[in-house]
Amino acid sequence: MKIPLSSSGGPTMASYHSENRCTWCDGCGDYGIWTAVKRALVEMGIPPHSVLLCYDVGCHGNGSDKVQGYRFHGLHGRVLPFAAGAKLANMKLPVMAFGGDGASFSEGIGHLVHSIRSNYPIVFVLHNNGNYGLTTGQASSLTWQGQKMNTSPNGMPEHTLPSMDFVFSLEPTFVARGFSGDIPQMVDILKAALQHRGFAFVDMLQACPTYNHFATHNYLLERCYHVENHDTKDFVKARQLAVDTKEKIATGILYQNEDIPSFYEQLVPRQKIKTTLVDEVKMHDVGGLMKEFV
Amino acid sequence: MARSSIKIVGASGQGLISIGEVLAKAFKRTGYCVFGYREYNSLIKGGHGSYQIDISDVEVRSSEEQVNVLVCLNHHGFEHNLHDVKDGGMIIHDTPSWQFPAEDVEYLQTHQIVVLFLPVGEVLGLLKAKPVLGNMVFSAFLWAAFCGDQKLLKSLVTEKFAKKPDVLELNMQVIDQGFMLCASMQCSLAIPKPSKAWQQHLLLTGSQAMGMGIVSAGCRLFAGYPMTPASPLLQYIADVQNETGMVIKQAEDEITAAQMVSGAMFAGTRAITATSGGGFDLMSETLSLNGIIENPSVFVLAQRPGPATGLPTWTAQGDLLMAVHTAHGEFARCVMSVSDSDDAFHLMNEAFNVAEMIQSPVIVLTDKHIAEGIYTQRPYDAKKTKIARGRLVTKSSDLKKLKSTDRYDPSTVDGISSRWLPGADAATFCAQGDEHSGDGTVDESAANAIAQMDKRMKKMETLKLLIPDPEFFMLSQTGMAVSPKDQQTELLIVGWGSNKGVIFDSIEALNSDPALAMHPPIGYLHYSYLWPLKTDRLIRLATQTKKVVFIECSYQSQFLQLVKQEVPGFTAEVIRKYDGRPFFLNELCSLIKKQLSPAA
Repeated sequence: MKIPLSSSGGPTMASYHSENRCTWCDGCGDYGIWTAVKRALVEMGIPPHSVLLCYDVGCHGNGSDKVQGYRFHGLHGRVLPFAAGAKLANMKLPVMAFGGDGASFSEGIGHLVHSIRSNYPIVFVLHNNGNYGLTTGQASSLTWQGQKMNTSPNGMPEHTLPSMDFVFSLEPTFVARGFSGDIPQMVDILKAALQHRGFAFVDMLQACPTYNHFATHNYLLERCYHVENHDTKDFVKARQLAVDTKEKIATGILYQNEDIPSFYEQLVPRQKIKTTLVDEVKMHDVGGLMKEFV
Repeated sequence: MARSSIKIVGASGQGLISIGEVLAKAFKRTGYCVFGYREYNSLIKGGHGSYQIDISDVEVRSSEEQVNVLVCLNHHGFEHNLHDVKDGGMIIHDTPSWQFPAEDVEYLQTHQIVVLFLPVGEVLGLLKAKPVLGNMVFSAFLWAAFCGDQKLLKSLVTEKFAKKPDVLELNMQVIDQGFMLCASMQCSLAIPKPSKAWQQHLLLTGSQAMGMGIVSAGCRLFAGYPMTPASPLLQYIADVQNETGMVIKQAEDEITAAQMVSGAMFAGTRAITATSGGGFDLMSETLSLNGIIENPSVFVLAQRPGPATGLPTWTAQGDLLMAVHTAHGEFARCVMSVSDSDDAFHLMNEAFNVAEMIQSPVIVLTDKHIAEGIYTQRPYDAKKTKIARGRLVTKSSDLKKLKSTDRYDPSTVDGISSRWLPGADAATFCAQGDEHSGDGTVDESAANAIAQMDKRMKKMETLKLLIPDPEFFMLSQTGMAVSPKDQQTELLIVGWGSNKGVIFDSIEALNSDPALAMHPPIGYLHYSYLWPLKTDRLIRLATQTKKVVFIECSYQSQFLQLVKQEVPGFTAEVIRKYDGRPFFLNELCSLIKKQLSPAA
C-alpha cells in the first residue's frame, strides 16, 4: 500500500495556529516552549501534516489541542515508547515527544533510560518545572529537597534526583538545555534536535508561577547563560557544564555525538530497505518460512 | 482408530526435547499425524520434564493419559511415570543395575509392562562420544524398533547438523550403533501403517503457526517482553526477522511493548505484542488508551495458571474474564481465541482486520498448550485471505476533503469514523486521551461526553454483526466436521481455545467405544470469538439437546459465567480442570461418558 505522506513546503506560524485558547496560568513557561516548538517547525519548513507531536499528561499536555499538526496525548509517563513506535513505523515522519519532570523522572523513568540507550531517532522535550503542576503542586523527584509542597507539608524528605548527571550516565547522543524565557535560543536548540541522528534530550527549564516558588522565572533568568566556545563533542566537559548549576546554569547544546547510529539504523533486517513499515502492510508470502517445518 | 504414543521423561537439559523432536519429525515424514505435548518446570537444569508424542495414521490432536512406550533418561522416571505406561507397554531406560522395589515389580508384572535396559554408556564409550549423544542412541533405537527407515533418520539428522560436519559424522555412527543394538535385542514396536497424506504436512508449534500468521497478515513490528508462554512467539518472530524484514523490539517492560505497538499502529503499520497474564495486567492502561483514541491494536494473551507467577510453564483458560473486562472505563474491544495450529495462523489476519475495522483493541487468547503444543498441519494457503483496513483514508483526493472533526465525528451511524495517518496531507487532529470532540479537542461538557461514549460503544453492536457465529461440529464419516445446520443432539458440548483438539478426539473415540452401544449424537459448539458474545446459535442448539456441558480449564468456568451474564437464567453442566494440565484423551472421554449416563 502506498500512502501519500508527502510534504509541501511553506508553513507559517499561522499554519500551526489553533482556535483553542490556552489554559495555562499567566507566566507559565509552557507558553514560551509552545511558541518555540511552533517556530522551530516553521523555520525547518515542516508543515503541520508532516509532523507528529506526542504529549505526556501534565500541564504541557493540555497544549495538545492548542496547536496544529498530527498530535497524540496519551498516558502519564508513557509518551516515549508510543513516540518511538510511531517513528519506527514511519521513519520519514519527524516525531517530537513532550513530558514533564514527574512523568519522566518518576512514573516513566524506565522509558527515559531505555529511550536514551536505544537512541530512538526522536526529539524529547522535558518540560522541567520542578513539580507536578496539573495535580496542584506535589513534589517531583526534581523538586529541591526540603521544599514544602502539596502532600509534603514538612518539606521533601528525599534528596533531589541529579537529573543531568543521571542522563549523562546513560551515554546520551544529544543533550541540550533551554530556558522557557528565552524563545530564540529554544528555537535554535529544537532545530538542532530535530536534525539529530538519534535521541535528542532537551531539558527545558520552565517557570511554574503557581506552585514552584524556588526556581522561579527570575531565579532562572538571573542564572541561565548561553554556553559559548564549548566543544559539544567533549563529553566530560559537557557533563560538568550540565551538572554544575549552583552559581550559573549553562544553556544551549551541551553535548552531541552524531557517530552513533540510531536504533533503526542498527537493525540488520532493515539495512537495504527504503520503504517504511507503513508502506509494507500487505499480505506476505510465508511459503519460504513453511519449508523449515516440512 | 489406531494410535500409539511415546513419552520421554528426564531432567531439563538432558535432551528429551532433542529425542522428541527428531522422532516427531521422522514419524511425520514417514506419513503419520503427530501431536506433541511437553511438560516441564520453570528452571533450566534439573526438575522432571516430559515430551510426549501421540502418533496415528489418522488425525490426532491430543495426548493419551498412558503411553505405549516410556523412555526414562534417568531413574526418576521409574518413580514418577511408572503408571503412565499402558498395559502391555514398554519402558526403555539406561540406568545400570536398577532394582525396582517389590511393589513396582508386581505392578509391572500385573500390567505386563516390559522393561528394557539400553547400554547407552557402552555405545558411547565404544565411539568415544560425549554423553550428550546418548539422546541419539535412544532416538536411533526407538526409530529402528518402530521399523523406521534408517536413511530417513540420517537425512533428518544431517539437516539438523548441516553446519557442524564434525558433530554430524559421530551422529551417523551413533545411529548405526542404535540400529544394531535394536537388531541384536530383537526389539520391535507396533504402529499402524503410514498414510502418505501426512508427509507434506508441516510439523510445528502453535507459536510458530501464530508467528507465520502474523507475518502473513502484513504485521511489520513486534514488540514484546519475555514471559512464558508468550516467549516462544517472540523467539520465532525474532529468529525469522532477516527473512521477513520486520522490526523486532525486546522492550524494557510490557508497558513499553504495548505503547510501542500502539504508536506503530497509530502511524499506520500493523504491529503486535504478546504476553501472559502478568504482563497483560501491565498493558491494561494502554488498552484503555487505545479505546478512547480509537486506535487499532492487537494484543496476544498467552494464558498460564495464576494468580501472580502461579504455574509459569503450565496451561490454563483463567484469563478470559480479564481479557473481556480489564482496563478502566468503558470501551469497545474484541476478544478472540485460537485453538490449534490452523486458526493460530488464520485468525491473526482476522485480528488485524477487526482491529482496523472497529478502530479499537483486539485481544487474541492462546495458552501454553497451544503455544508449545506440536501440531501436524496442512500447509497454509493464504490466497483467499484479504487485508481489510476499514475506514482508513489513503487516497490524496479523499484526504483533501477531510476535516479535522471527521476523525472522531460522533454522528457516524455505526460508531466508526474516518481514520487517516500522521504524515498524510490532510487536516490534522489530536489522538486525545482526554474526552474530546471531533478533532481531538478536550471537551468535558456533558453533551459531548454522552455523544462520544455513545459513538465508541456503538462499535460493539457493529462488531457483533461483523464477527461470525460460533462453529457447530458433528461427527461425520470422516471424523468431526462443521455442520452449518443446527442438529438435534443428546449432548451439546460448548468450549473454546485449546480444548477443541481433545474434544474432537474424545467424540471420535467415544463413537468407536463398544461400551456405548447407542452412540448418542454429541455436538460441539466452538467459540473463536468470545467478546462481544454471540449467543443466538447457542440458545437454539441448547433447545435441541438433552444436556449442555461446558468444558473449560478454569476454576470458575469463566466462559459459562460470561454466557450467564449475557443470557440470564442460562444453565449448563460443567467439566473443568485447573491443575495446569490440559485434558487428556481418556480422561475427557470418561468425563463425557459420565455426562451421557442416565444417572448423571
